[in-house]
Amino acid sequence: MKKTIGTAFAATFAGAVALGGFAASAADPVKIGFSESKTGLFAQAATSQYQSYNLWREQMNAAGGLDVAGTKRKVEFVSYDDQSNPGKAVQIYEKLITDDKVDLLLAPWGTSLHLAIAGVIERYKFPVVGNTAASVQLRKLKAGNIWFPTSLFPDRQSDVLAALLKDRGVNTAALVTNQLPYTQENKSFVVPALKKAGIELVVNEDYPPNVKDLTAVLTKVKNAKPDAVLAYTYPADAVLYMNGAREVGLNQRVQVVLLGPQYDFFDKIFGAARNGILTMGHWTPARKDWPSARTFADAFKARWKTDPDFVDAPLAYVSVEILQQAVAKAGLDKDKLRATIAGTTFATINGPVRFEGVMNVALPTMISQIQGGTQHIVWPPKERTAEAIAKPAWK
Amino acid sequence: MAEHSRFLALLAVAVAAFALVPRLGGDYAIGVALNLLMWIALTQSWVVLSAMTGYVSLGHAVFFGAGAYAMVLCFGSLPFWLSVIVAGAATGLLALLVGYPCLRVRGPYFVILTFGLAELVKFVVINVEAALGQFGRLLFGGPGLAQIFYVVLVLAAVSVIVTWFVRRSRFGAGLRAIRENEEAAETLGIDVARYKVLAFALSAIVPGMVGAAMVLRTTYFEPLDLFNPITSFTIVSIAIIGGGDDVPGPVYGALFLVLMQELLWANWPEVYMILLGGLLVAFVLGVPDGIHGRVAAWRKARG
Amino acid sequence: MVDLFSGQLLIAALVLAAIYGLVALGLNLIYGTMRLLNVAHGEILMLGGYLAYWTFTLTGVGPVWSMFLALVLAGAFGAIVYRTLCRRVLRSSRLIEQIEANSLLLLFGVSIILQNVIALSFTATARAYPYLDDIVRIGTFQVTADRLVVLGIGLALCFAAILFFRLSATGLQIRALIQQPDAALLVGVDVERMRLISFSLGFAIAGVAGCLISMLEQVSPFMGFPFTIAAFVVIILGGLGNLAGGLAGAAVLAAIEVYGVALTTTSMRSILIYGVFIAVLVWRPQGLFGGRSMVR
Repeated sequence: MKKTIGTAFAATFAGAVALGGFAASAADPVKIGFSESKTGLFAQAATSQYQSYNLWREQMNAAGGLDVAGTKRKVEFVSYDDQSNPGKAVQIYEKLITDDKVDLLLAPWGTSLHLAIAGVIERYKFPVVGNTAASVQLRKLKAGNIWFPTSLFPDRQSDVLAALLKDRGVNTAALVTNQLPYTQENKSFVVPALKKAGIELVVNEDYPPNVKDLTAVLTKVKNAKPDAVLAYTYPADAVLYMNGAREVGLNQRVQVVLLGPQYDFFDKIFGAARNGILTMGHWTPARKDWPSARTFADAFKARWKTDPDFVDAPLAYVSVEILQQAVAKAGLDKDKLRATIAGTTFATINGPVRFEGVMNVALPTMISQIQGGTQHIVWPPKERTAEAIAKPAWK
Repeated sequence: MAEHSRFLALLAVAVAAFALVPRLGGDYAIGVALNLLMWIALTQSWVVLSAMTGYVSLGHAVFFGAGAYAMVLCFGSLPFWLSVIVAGAATGLLALLVGYPCLRVRGPYFVILTFGLAELVKFVVINVEAALGQFGRLLFGGPGLAQIFYVVLVLAAVSVIVTWFVRRSRFGAGLRAIRENEEAAETLGIDVARYKVLAFALSAIVPGMVGAAMVLRTTYFEPLDLFNPITSFTIVSIAIIGGGDDVPGPVYGALFLVLMQELLWANWPEVYMILLGGLLVAFVLGVPDGIHGRVAAWRKARG
Repeated sequence: MVDLFSGQLLIAALVLAAIYGLVALGLNLIYGTMRLLNVAHGEILMLGGYLAYWTFTLTGVGPVWSMFLALVLAGAFGAIVYRTLCRRVLRSSRLIEQIEANSLLLLFGVSIILQNVIALSFTATARAYPYLDDIVRIGTFQVTADRLVVLGIGLALCFAAILFFRLSATGLQIRALIQQPDAALLVGVDVERMRLISFSLGFAIAGVAGCLISMLEQVSPFMGFPFTIAAFVVIILGGLGNLAGGLAGAAVLAAIEVYGVALTTTSMRSILIYGVFIAVLVWRPQGLFGGRSMVR
């Protein structure tokens, strides 16, 4: 009896060793690590990034795995909650690289976390395709291990917006801005851009991120009778703006709401009342020359029972598409991967992507507008999927 | 005296052991150890005010954040170590300034007041940054991880020394007399107002310096992050978990919370926050004396 | 430049006052009777918001009705939390010594659990639904119907609560417990029962407040904390444990939020609020409307 157990044990052990040896070659899953902002300040906004990542993983695995330079391998995620804390994110990427020894990394959520981890990935020379970050500060990062597919950079965005406003016949504008970084950065670029375009700013006021009512400032805006209203909001206060503007009766034909209209919950609250609101964004499933955009939107909806937002969800997906195509070509070797990401033109749901330095130079900056329940690109003219319309009066 | 020398010897051993971490461990290990030291330094400082006088501060994030902001303003014009000292001086001064009016307020009012103070300073900084046309600052070219680690190690050691000696001084006896009965302390000839303000300032300096060092860990400054109320909450949690008004409490508390968090976080990433919440609840109800109280009782039982 | 007497500003201030008043009422009740710093207050509100959202999304029944369900469920949940957790804090001589810090930690734990259970169940995505969002014109100004409903229900509930505490036997006993805990015990107030009722009622009101707020803004697992803070500001302005003062505190906060920024700029909003809050704490800790000093 004793001997039998011993033999069985030995056999199992040998089997395990053999299996281990075998597994290390082809069937081993590719380990992909990232930190997600599951709790804390960014949690609400970061969900769609996570959803895009997971949609992609499931698609890969359903198709037999990720193509690693010719070999199909299953995809496995290793992710931890960074609590929206940059310090924690830094620690997580250090752990992912040194402790979990992941094969590939995906980006965390938001500009501050991208900037926070830039140091770590530079130190370990680990290439990461960023996604949900947009700030002129990103251009100061060293090129080589991080790239940004977006074109929502506040300086260019401000110029493009000013051109659109001019085209819409705007001569005076009012600006109300949340004091958080992304909106402040946009403000600091749009003020000179408007001036340059000859648009006079008649109201220019900030509000703190925890504001609960905008009636007073919107009344000021109404009294100033500008041609256009620019509400530089984050999603939570975008709701305050919409309600306030309706009540106060701001019926300007041109109204820009920076962050908020892109998200599904905005559609749920306001429905048709969103129509005609201008907003930022360079992606829409309506682009005929990006056929996979529609496929993505449908797959996302089928998987998560909610429409993808028009900013974070597609950007997150674009970043994994880039990684997927680069890995198919270069495998998992960091140097080859880096060279491939830097030197290839990728086909994505947001059109072609090609990097110069840290920036995607194939995607122009665009302005979008909510029309008929979806988001269309309305500017610049050669990119648009619909003509800009005048915002109908509130009902 | 023997007590002091034994303490200092133990501290020297602990500091030496921590000093080896950057040489032996990887970045991840340094990160965890840095976290541990940071919470020890913050909570020790908190103990000098809140555990000794009974004035529970729920706003220590204000000093952490103000120190970080001082570093941001000095960044590029002063060397790292000097900026850390400036940050400590600035937060000490801040505490002296606001201490007198604030410490007239007692009990739950003080708890909520300190919380409100942290929020007020946060929004002032947000406003100042907006007025300066800043939108989140990049802090490139700062010190490396190891350098930050050594600074925080020194700060943790300083905070431990401060708590130890205050606890065993006439000043500390006065602070504890205030906790037991403020009116009685006053009749005993203790200058209550001055004692409280001094304790407040003393509890503000190290957190300011820690904030200054830690802001460079991430190379990016955003006020909302650094004045996070969760920092204040965590300090109180660690102090309560550790228990007592002396050096061991914050050490036990920080060790327990940081290691438990790492353990839960790495093994059950989906539910670790829920487990952590459950742990806090269980701790308050199950270990009301804190770890320090338990250890003391166990030692007594052993003789 | 802004007409301070416009009805538009007035209605905005009133709606905010009703929300703040309702949110603060439950917190004040729990603090007043037991000195528990309920930092999980906002999370109960969040649960009420989710209840309203799911009830509306799944069955089409609006928050005006689901708030009754929230009242019952949140009340029951309050009773459970009180019986299993908070009562033990109040009974432990060791814990009562530092009741503020201990209750804070305990309920902080509860709030973390609630936030993350909801985030795990429904993801952290913001959710919202359209409800009564037609514009109503009243004289020279207009307001969305949902805000009017919140104003009406909020004020009605606040006044009902005040009447309850002034007229009913239970209400009077609870007030006695708040104002003179030792005397209340002597005159035969069933302290344990009153505490249970206060706790349960505090949660119930928060649940209802959550239902109402879900009409106006999106719900998410982490929406609660700002409301907890606002509630603390209100009850400090009105006086800790002073229920009627809390309503006045809510009005003051709303006035700062609407008129304060109309007179200055919106960027000053939070600085004004916390500045007034701290000034009140330092110079008049018993609150703006308390006669007697509430400081021990």
